[in-house]
Amino acid sequence: MGIQEQYRSEAAGLLSSGAVKLVIGFGEGSTVERRRPVFVRTPAETERLVLDGGCVANLSTYLLTEGLLSDGKSVAVFLKPDGIRSINILAAEAQLNPEQVVIFGFDIEEGQVRALEGRKASDFAPVIGVAKAAGLSAELQKEAELLDQISAAERFEYWKDQFSKCIKCYACRQVCPMCYCRRCIVDVNQPQWVNTSSHTLGNFEWNIVRAFHLAGRCVACGGCDRSCPVNIPLRLINHRMAKEVLDAFDYYAGECAEQKPVLATFRQDDPETFIL
Amino acid sequence: MAKIGVFVCHCGENIASMVDTANLVAAISEHPGVEICLEYKYFCSDPGQETVKRAVREHNLTGVVVAACSPRMHEQTFRKACAEAGLNPYMLELANIREQCSWVHTDKEEATEKAIEITRSLVEKVKRNNKLYPISVPVTRRAMVIGGGIAGIQAALDIASAGREVVLVEREPSIGGHMSQISETFPTLDCSQCILTPRMVEAVQHPNITVMTYSEVEEVDGYIGNFTVKVRRKARYVRMETCTGCGDCIQKCPVKKIPSEFECGLGNRSAIYTPFAQAVPNVPVIDRSRCTYFKNGKCAICKKTCQIDSIDFDQQDTIETIEVGAIVVATGFQVQNTSLYGEYGYGRYKDVITGLHFERLASASGPTAGKILRPSDGKQPETVVFIQCAGSRDVSKGVRYCSKICCMYTAKHAMLYAHKVHDGDTKIFYMDIRAAGKGYDEFTRRAIEEDHAGYVRGRVSKLYEENGKLIVRGVDMLLGRPVEVAADMVVLATAMVPQPDAKEFAKIIGIGYDEYGFFNEAHLKLRPVETATAGIYLAGACQSPKDIPDSVSQASAAAAKILGLFSREHLEREPVVATVSDSTCAGCWGCATACPYNAIDQRDITDRNGNVIKRVASVNPGLCQGCGTCVSFCRSNSIDLAGFTEKQIFAEVMAL
Ligand SMILES: Cc1cc2nc3c(=O)[nH]c(=O)nc-3n(C[C@H](O)[C@H](O)[C@H](O)COP(=O)(O)OP(=O)(O)OC[C@H]3O[C@@H](n4cnc5c(N)ncnc54)[C@H](O)[C@@H]3O)c2cc1C
Ligand code: SF4
Ligand code: SF4
Ligand code: SF4
Ligand code: SF4
Repeated sequence: MGIQEQYRSEAAGLLSSGAVKLVIGFGEGSTVERRRPVFVRTPAETERLVLDGGCVANLSTYLLTEGLLSDGKSVAVFLKPDGIRSINILAAEAQLNPEQVVIFGFDIEEGQVRALEGRKASDFAPVIGVAKAAGLSAELQKEAELLDQISAAERFEYWKDQFSKCIKCYACRQVCPMCYCRRCIVDVNQPQWVNTSSHTLGNFEWNIVRAFHLAGRCVACGGCDRSCPVNIPLRLINHRMAKEVLDAFDYYAGECAEQKPVLATFRQDDPETFIL
Repeated sequence: MAKIGVFVCHCGENIASMVDTANLVAAISEHPGVEICLEYKYFCSDPGQETVKRAVREHNLTGVVVAACSPRMHEQTFRKACAEAGLNPYMLELANIREQCSWVHTDKEEATEKAIEITRSLVEKVKRNNKLYPISVPVTRRAMVIGGGIAGIQAALDIASAGREVVLVEREPSIGGHMSQISETFPTLDCSQCILTPRMVEAVQHPNITVMTYSEVEEVDGYIGNFTVKVRRKARYVRMETCTGCGDCIQKCPVKKIPSEFECGLGNRSAIYTPFAQAVPNVPVIDRSRCTYFKNGKCAICKKTCQIDSIDFDQQDTIETIEVGAIVVATGFQVQNTSLYGEYGYGRYKDVITGLHFERLASASGPTAGKILRPSDGKQPETVVFIQCAGSRDVSKGVRYCSKICCMYTAKHAMLYAHKVHDGDTKIFYMDIRAAGKGYDEFTRRAIEEDHAGYVRGRVSKLYEENGKLIVRGVDMLLGRPVEVAADMVVLATAMVPQPDAKEFAKIIGIGYDEYGFFNEAHLKLRPVETATAGIYLAGACQSPKDIPDSVSQASAAAAKILGLFSREHLEREPVVATVSDSTCAGCWGCATACPYNAIDQRDITDRNGNVIKRVASVNPGLCQGCGTCVSFCRSNSIDLAGFTEKQIFAEVMAL
């Protein structure tokens, strides 16, 4: 039995025993390579679940749907290691109870799906440990370094160009599991900190604010980058912030549910080079 | 409708010489909402304040901006003036056109333009100010003194004698600090122990003082008037309640060859020990790392010896939580580790010692019973070389400052040596003799004139051993020629440096420190005893190098500050506190983690039937210090700070 079948039958079992009330997984999309989220509530429907190399989205976002977890019942969800890390962050930030989340863990290597051992977020600590040890994505690092090689003025021009495309659709925000605020900073209009009109200043403000709000929280699932309709390389900004907190504070977002937010804490041996 | 009064101060020439105040007044008078704009030479003067008050009354002003100096200087002055004129004192803002403008610019036209912008921006802020009312909080009228050296003891005695409770926390087994190690004291040459021990005894016997020795502060929470301190009482393995201090256990302990910290390694102690004979309290401790019983469960001779069964190997560290209203930090200093000075051979040659070693040699209660005998062979040295500024005033060794006491104690050492070794010879290499202080210059003159201290102005370049002598090579700068002395002993006047853990300790209790690790005062000249953290005060050498008279004076000053604080049962606190917006808070608790004062709790919001529908952050106004950390942390801007609301700050920024 392949993992797809194995997970289908386990999902059916969980639903029929009542252990979970809902399974969030992947189903067929509009084209062969595309997968879209499906929400399965009965054992029969588990037939719709698909698991293959196209299942890249971080489905943890859907767990925060208003009221979904408030009855205390459990929900199962298909997650890659990045998604599991976001469960840890959401647990650390008191947005969900990790005990209510049953995980169908998997990873994709060269288009092939591999099952990951475990059911609760904490079971995957070894997997996340290996990911941290392997470091941030080498591919992204290479891309980011190209930007480091040009002068500050050129870099500014580059981002100005990129941001000028932003149409303020906030798709990046909607797709991100960590953008759960009840009222996003862009929606504050008393006072209006972020200019909402789509011109250079407002676009800069929005993208910089978003980058800071995800610093030390982004798990590099790539959701924002994929969802951006005008192809702003958001991955590079996120990667840069992740690298900063890893290098400066040895902080890898979503390591465990007890992790304290990096920007709200300090250690006695923090380098402080930017303060003194 | 806003009716703002703006008062432009010249500060004599301080502002007027660089800012065209007439232009400033003209520009601001035009600004919407400004009812009246006046200029004057000194608004902080009586007539100046009267002008402000009159304007408030006559024009029914709703807000006041004084364009003058930093709010740190005169905010209180003008708040008071506003209150006396019937305006809520928090409807006042100071536009700083002095420190942030006239003092730092050289182009009058540009400075004037900047002053206009700064003032305009504060006018926009004050339009959005809200009336605020001070918060009253109770004061716990008990003080904690951390560090039981002479400074700590003095502060504790002064507070206690005025009728307030004091907890004195000392991390060593006995109080006393460095003064207990010193032989005789400059500038009077009275015996250090003889003047110190009565104070130690008075402290421990004082009904208002609780002395906690062998104890360390682990955590400080709270704020002025209401601190909660966690103190770890380290296990002594000897019961304080029953031990009579007879010392039988110390006599019988077979592990005797441990270099004594108190004697700077010149003498030995046993595994169960009191650091020195007059220790207070006179209750020994067991050094776990050296005790045979703790190594292999055998021995326990001390336990067998003790007639009243006061030895308790099972004792554990205990944590005590103590509520206090104010804290004095008096954690003292250390003598610099001289291994930095390879050229002076410290650590390589046994007879190269520090000033503190010399104190022990000269001390009647020391390892040589007060005879000056050199460590290597116990012989009396015939020639002694003293090297001043060994570490101090030396950028390459990381100590740029003057340690202040070394000139004096070196003169003292030369005198003590002359008194004890009549035909001995001294050479003192020095850069300058700094002897400012009552009776100090007279003291060094006496060393030179009566006790023939041989001062040589110049630095030592090399020190090596040859035929049992320490050859000291240097220059005599006054004569402009090299000197070479064959010495029997060399004494280094090493720098006074902060405690090695000073920076960590400062972080624990929440005070600032300088580049070296000495604790920072709130203002070097005007508030030298306070720290920037309200309710925490400094005394003694933990702030900067100090001798005994300076340490004691500062300790009494800190006590006076605290007694002033304790004179009232309640304290008025600034109403600048944070509030959370329940509707938008996402309950991520980031703010609660970030708050340095632990002022943020969780609060449940319930429906009519009492079901929890939401859990949000909630600020305790009694604890909040208005630092704004939470405001900057909250991603969804769900926290606002009274007096510095987002609307105010936004208006301020947008007016620039
Ligand atoms: C060689 C030498 C000779 C001197 N001779 C003279 C002299 O003749 N005349 C004179 O006026 N001055 C002299 N001095 C200076 C004098 O020693 C100091 O001025 C004085 O000791 C300062 O007192 P203090 O209480 O501030 O610090 P200390 O004496 O250092 O006392 C600090 C106390 O705090 C304790 N402590 C530290 N950290 C903690 C903590 N975290 N928790 C709890 N407790 C803690 C320490 O154990 C210590 O007991 C001399 C100094 C030296 C080095
Ligand atoms: S961008 Fe910031 S404020 Fe907006 S939803 Fe994301 S984290 Fe919250
Ligand atoms: S910021 Fe983008 S890449 Fe990072 S966690 Fe959110 S959606 Fe994923
Ligand atoms: S940081 Fe903001 S959203 Fe998070 S708990 Fe505090 S007030 Fe609420
Ligand atoms: S302003 Fe916020 S962070 Fe600062 S003390 Fe008050 S509650 Fe704590």
